[in-house]
Amino acid sequence: MPIWLEVAIRSVCILIGLFVITRILGKKQLSKLSFFEYIVGITVGDIAGTMSSDLDISLQEGITSILIWSLFPVLIARISLRNKKFRDFVEGNSTVFIKNGKILEENLKREKYTVDELLEQLRKKDVFRVADVEFAVLEPNGDLNVLLKREKQPLTVGDVFPNPPREKEPQTVIMDGMILDEPLATMGLGRGWLKEQLDKQGVAVENVFLAQVDSYGQLTIDLYDDKIQVAEPQEKKLLLAAMKKVQADFELYALQTNSEEAKALYEAHAAKMTELIEKVGPLLRN
Amino acid sequence: MTVASQVKQTLASLKAIHAGLQQLALTSQDETAQRTFHEAMLTAERMIAELKGRIGRLEFEEPQYHGK
Repeated sequence: MPIWLEVAIRSVCILIGLFVITRILGKKQLSKLSFFEYIVGITVGDIAGTMSSDLDISLQEGITSILIWSLFPVLIARISLRNKKFRDFVEGNSTVFIKNGKILEENLKREKYTVDELLEQLRKKDVFRVADVEFAVLEPNGDLNVLLKREKQPLTVGDVFPNPPREKEPQTVIMDGMILDEPLATMGLGRGWLKEQLDKQGVAVENVFLAQVDSYGQLTIDLYDDKIQVAEPQEKKLLLAAMKKVQADFELYALQTNSEEAKALYEAHAAKMTELIEKVGPLLRN
Repeated sequence: MTVASQVKQTLASLKAIHAGLQQLALTSQDETAQRTFHEAMLTAERMIAELKGRIGRLEFEEPQYHGK
């Protein structure tokens, strides 16, 4: 067998083997690479590289070492999934740097962190005044995470509206002019509904590049032709406007009528409508 | 425009609101939103029934405009 053929066969086999190994190692390694995992990755790659081109190394030796290097992290991950103490030992503990707004100098010293480095890490988190920080912790992977004091935290929707309407993830129902049936079914809708909505906007399916349905059944579309203006969904706004109009009507009738009985009915209805608008309004506004 | 026809117009708007609420109750994905829309729809339904009764009386009082 010519040497090049042996190298080629080895390389292809090792490539496939490495692919399988990376699949076993999983996604976690990618998102949160610890120093140990980083070194393991490089070593496995190096062994594989040498093995594929250096014919002096026997396949047995190479495969044994690759298996040990790649399965050991898997084993550690499995054990640390079960055992908290082992996990702390392997992955390390987090260290609190700032507590109750006060810097803990001993912990800084223990992690060999200077004040400058702490300030730099805080600035990375857009914190320039240490006094704004309530709590800061150094994670095992070296990130500094910061909890700001309540009055310095950014404003959220929940701060302004006590019970904001909930929003689920929108579903993409048309991609590249093709209807996707599965997301449509997830929303409890069908092709007939989609056709009807597109007809309302006056566009054909083939001209739609992307269409999404939000959690209130509103369809938003993007067309291939960017010169055409697409109308925003109006149904919810129109509904709210109609409710306000009916409420005003009832108030008007209550003023106009001479009959006591009718007046009472209209006033009751006006009040009910106001209540309804208050209840449903937040859901209709966005 | 007579009072009866005005009230009838409001009734029509109310029916449209009822339909809109019903549709939102069916298409919403969030359960709380669904329930809110459904309850609002039921309220609208009751209002429609009461208003229909009122229109009946108005037609009785203004028989010349009956049915308009």
